[in-house]
Amino acid sequence: MTATTDTAEQSAPTEGKRSFLEPIWIGRAIALVAGVLLLAYPVLSDDIYYQNMIILSLIFAVGTSGLNIISGFAGYISLGQGAFLGLGGYTVGVLAARNEDVTVWWWIPAAGVVAGLVALVLGFVSLRSRGPAFVIITVAFLFLVQVIAVNWVSLTNGTAGLTLPLPTWDRDIMNWPFYYVLCAILGAQLLMTWWIRRTKLGMGLIAIREDETKAATIGINLPVQKITAFVMSTFFVGMAGGVYGYYLTFIDPRGMFSILLSVQLVLSLLIGGKATLWGPVIGAFLIEYLNEYANNDLGGGNVRLFLFGGLLVVVVIFLPKGILPAIESLLMRRRTAGKAGLVGARIGSGGSLASITDRVQLVDRSQIPDRPLLEVKDLRKAFGGVQAVDGASFAVPEGSITGLIGPNGSGKTTIFNLIDNTIAADSGEIWLAGERIDRLPSWSRAHRGLGRTFQLTRLFGEMTVLENVVAAQRSFSVAGLGKVAVSGAEGRAAEELLEYVGMRAFRDQKAHALSYGQQKLVELAQILMLDPKVILLDEPAGGINPVLIDRMSEMIRELNSYGKTFLIVEHNMPFILGLCDPIHVLARGKRMATGDAHEIQNDPAVIDAYLGDDFQLEEKAGTP
Amino acid sequence: MSYVSIRRGVLATTTAGVLAVALAACGGDSGGGDSDGAIVIGSSLPLTGEFSQPGTAAEQGYQVWKEMVNADGGLLDRDVELKIKDDASNQNTIVSDYNALIAQDKVDLLLGTFSSLLNLPASAVAEKNQMLYVEPAGGSPDMFSRDFKYLFFAQQSTSDKQGKVFAEYVAALPEAERPKTAAYPTLDDPFAAPNVAGIQKILEEAGIETVYEETYAIDTKNFDTIVNAMKSADPDLVVHGAQFEDGIGLTRSMLKADFTPEMFYETNAPSFGQQYVEGIGAENTEGVLYAVSHSPDADTTGNAEFVAKYEEMYGTAEVPEDAADAYAAAQVLQAAVEAVGDIEDQEAMADWLRENEVDTILGPLSWNDDGSPTGDFLIGQWQDGKAQIVLPPDASTAEIKPGWTPGGAG
Amino acid sequence: MTEFLQNLLLGILLGGVYALAAGGLTLIFGVMRVINIAHGAFLVLASFITYTLWDVLGIDPLLAILITTPVIGALGWVTYKVLVAPIRTAPMASTVLLTFGLALVVEGAMGEIWGNNSTAIRPSYGDESFAFAGLYLPKAQLYGGLVAVLVLVALWAILTKTWLGRAIRAAAINPSSAELVGIKVTSVAALVFALGIAAAGAGGAITGILYPFVPGSHYQWIARLLAIVVLGGMGSLNGAVLGALLFGVAETMTSAYVSPSWATAVPYAIVFAVLLVRPQGLLGTRMREDAVMA
Repeated sequence: MTATTDTAEQSAPTEGKRSFLEPIWIGRAIALVAGVLLLAYPVLSDDIYYQNMIILSLIFAVGTSGLNIISGFAGYISLGQGAFLGLGGYTVGVLAARNEDVTVWWWIPAAGVVAGLVALVLGFVSLRSRGPAFVIITVAFLFLVQVIAVNWVSLTNGTAGLTLPLPTWDRDIMNWPFYYVLCAILGAQLLMTWWIRRTKLGMGLIAIREDETKAATIGINLPVQKITAFVMSTFFVGMAGGVYGYYLTFIDPRGMFSILLSVQLVLSLLIGGKATLWGPVIGAFLIEYLNEYANNDLGGGNVRLFLFGGLLVVVVIFLPKGILPAIESLLMRRRTAGKAGLVGARIGSGGSLASITDRVQLVDRSQIPDRPLLEVKDLRKAFGGVQAVDGASFAVPEGSITGLIGPNGSGKTTIFNLIDNTIAADSGEIWLAGERIDRLPSWSRAHRGLGRTFQLTRLFGEMTVLENVVAAQRSFSVAGLGKVAVSGAEGRAAEELLEYVGMRAFRDQKAHALSYGQQKLVELAQILMLDPKVILLDEPAGGINPVLIDRMSEMIRELNSYGKTFLIVEHNMPFILGLCDPIHVLARGKRMATGDAHEIQNDPAVIDAYLGDDFQLEEKAGTP
Repeated sequence: MSYVSIRRGVLATTTAGVLAVALAACGGDSGGGDSDGAIVIGSSLPLTGEFSQPGTAAEQGYQVWKEMVNADGGLLDRDVELKIKDDASNQNTIVSDYNALIAQDKVDLLLGTFSSLLNLPASAVAEKNQMLYVEPAGGSPDMFSRDFKYLFFAQQSTSDKQGKVFAEYVAALPEAERPKTAAYPTLDDPFAAPNVAGIQKILEEAGIETVYEETYAIDTKNFDTIVNAMKSADPDLVVHGAQFEDGIGLTRSMLKADFTPEMFYETNAPSFGQQYVEGIGAENTEGVLYAVSHSPDADTTGNAEFVAKYEEMYGTAEVPEDAADAYAAAQVLQAAVEAVGDIEDQEAMADWLRENEVDTILGPLSWNDDGSPTGDFLIGQWQDGKAQIVLPPDASTAEIKPGWTPGGAG
Repeated sequence: MTEFLQNLLLGILLGGVYALAAGGLTLIFGVMRVINIAHGAFLVLASFITYTLWDVLGIDPLLAILITTPVIGALGWVTYKVLVAPIRTAPMASTVLLTFGLALVVEGAMGEIWGNNSTAIRPSYGDESFAFAGLYLPKAQLYGGLVAVLVLVALWAILTKTWLGRAIRAAAINPSSAELVGIKVTSVAALVFALGIAAAGAGGAITGILYPFVPGSHYQWIARLLAIVVLGGMGSLNGAVLGALLFGVAETMTSAYVSPSWATAVPYAIVFAVLLVRPQGLLGTRMREDAVMA
């Protein structure tokens, strides 16, 4: 039920007819029954204890489901999610206290808007932080909001808190309005989660979760995607928080911005299952039930700390993916038990370029102007005291296969990282097709025609091969985020590219299951999806078998013959000498020589610095 | 990502599933009131967490009351049973708890919880369900601005008026003995802040100059700077709005800085008896003034019996104020039930309380229409390592002594 | 002016104690890339153990450090072996959640054992001060600060002068190469965890004398310690000391000249500001992303 498998199933009609006994249908049936039971419960029973428990569970389910968008899809764990419930509560509290003759319900949407706006600001502010720094920022945010709520007395009435009017409706249906409004909010939240999951936005978020830097290099606009996700992860949560405040009839900074509230949301998400649709809901109901149980039957207080803390520890160690994904992989293993995996299958012999004309723009070589397509000027980068790149300047002529060689530590990979902005340069200029790009973010460079593979491949491990290829975004528009994740045309183009690199048979495999060489091929297909003008390959022949090396150089030549420009870093000398012209030689972070294969091999300085005396012999023996 | 094998994951899922089923199986409801057996009275108290200190004391008060009522033949000739939950000082838990008490445990009567922050949401649950709610604490003026019909506060006055007797005493002192300047550090808390504000207003009207006033947050640990600033302002009187921990913290910082104003009044902390003595040292308590609702030595109805029973049950005659308040709340409930003669008509009980005065160990209590009490608080003072009531004169157990003399008499 | 000097003095003394507690946190992060959210909980646990030693056995709380620190350190070692080691390779956010869970469990355990009442350690010198030049120097703060400096110097000596220290640094910089030259990285990591937690333990013994505490106090501690470590630069011991001193002074000054009610906002504001403006902190160096990824 994860996003990845679901989209895979959507695009896998070839698997044959689906049986209604398949897990997805069983799951849907269970969800339907649970939904009907949930809606019917208040009519069937007037036990306000369980109604109260379900109301709280619904609030936490909305909170957890919202958290799922930023933490489950995008992988940004937030311990500040509870703050958005609190902000919603306060919005309703403040507005209701100032407008006594208007029904409180009017302010619920406003609570969503306020939560969304604060998330927008926080999104802008916290963009630069990742991983644990983000977790810390969210905690700091939570406490900061709390301090503000305490000190902004004129608005919030400080620690004394705000009281809301008691509901005015008939006592017999006391909890119904809360109950059904929350059901509706949860419904809307789930609908949004489902929508996100099947759009470009969702796929981009998962790519960000898997490898953010890499995602940027294949054209995914990080800030827009992350901020959008952040705002979406809080809107309905703010609304639910508004209902929460109204339901409690009293809000104060300590209760509304308690860190335990956020912990409960994170715990629910982890237990239910990140990046699933129903996992957060299941987790929220389960945790709220355990919470009540610990409170009523185990003595509360400290027991609850043991329960929450202990569960958090156990889940992180033993169940990092949550209940739903664990059940899913169990079912998956049962179904595939006994069947051989595809990973050992042969790599296809590869298709021809003619079949991919609608995705990759082909150029008549005679039309190529005589100019540098990519040019770096006086590029510099220091790590601490180490000057890794020290004033490197070189050009990649349009239509060429340019080589970049040099001893270990001479700064080759760092230059690649600077060119695609995986690392920011200290100074220097980078020009692409006559445009200066060194101030642009990675994704803009990708959109302008820069494609790059990594020395150690960086595919999105939890995505399928096909999704990896489709994840590349050639251009960016906000409207484009709402497009379906894998459109028919894109799916076809990606399959053609996979066919071309010989990996079509593996399209539904998870990328982490592939061998290293296979990953290199998929990564090539992935950047071809960008239709780049210039392709940077970092050790394309490193660590793969000789047959594959030949295939690799064959593909490079073919793409080049149709006008693609290459810049290649490689240690395999026969490979690079046979393929590249010109070749730049780097030493100590700057260019020391340039020439064709022959000139390089005979340059005494190069031989001395890098190739070594015995190299020439080997080379002469190798080439006929 | 997958750093743990799937096998372990599945194992854990199964375990969690089995656990959940097992929990669900044994999580059925327990108890429940039946009309001929015992009368079940429900409450949820902060036995753990932030307010655990008063919460635990309140539970003792309720228990003492239960023992005494049952020994005396019960309430309406039926035994009394208490159903006390722990809300861990947590607001959504307390709402759940009172809902559970009403719907799940089907208690016959409710008693309130501790601190305004918890009583505010809890009293709303009672009000929605039209059940009488007598609270032993929760004196924030905000409690009573909501037009609740079933809410009653079982102390002598709301927090903004608790220092009144002290302030009026200071204002009435002869010119020579009266402090000229005063400092008002206070915890940002719905109980302490109004209390101090009430005193400040009276003293300023009496011409006592305010040289320092500052509010600090609940999680403040370091009081040295506040004390340092106060010391520079050099007031004759310090009125400190405190709960417990910060009361100890600020007093110790004052001692370290050798800052000993002539007069020292502090809310809450000094009423904690032995715990307070341990916190700041017996020798430093001499002369500290505070507002208090109860004195173990007071000559109020049933007080001696209560103190004796408390000592029997908990091994000390040092009754915490919060235990006494809880006992008084239960006394108020008892009076209402006995007057109406029936536990069903909660509205009649509320109406009766609005009309009548109830004799408690805190003295006679009576209420305004909004449920706020109409009386005056007591003022206590530590003298020779013992807590005495010094104001108002008719309730006092000792003469008020001028001056705070830490490190002296001990 | 006297008031200002007094505040400055108090701020620096406070900073010394903060430095001790934050030093352990930054050490653990530097070597293991683990943000130990349970650090504050171990600190408060040390306060409680010190309290019991003082209250029951009458041991001077500052002397009790000799007992408290190894006990807490041993707990840290066990924690690493049992909880952290199994998920060493997991994303950092996982260890944050794990140690957060641990903090809650420790908080619950302290509540069960010692109760949730406010507790204060009051040695005879607890409320006394040295006075000079119109200023006062609280004895407890001074002694506490001195002990903090001693422990910090010891920690610094271990890190720079011993074989263990070199092994720790090697393991921090390049774990796989360290294994090649015969350093057992997991053992070193367990030792570092124990050392870091032990430092928090020493800090807890001192802060227990200075301020009253309850089991829930650990939230405030971890907020402060994180702010300090972030300010100084994650993983830098010198940075933590500098950050702690700055932080102590900043907190004192805000309380004195802005308002005590805003003083509690200082740590959160610092975390925000630093992570946004200079994510590597004052003395930290930016990590090479390509090196970290590999």
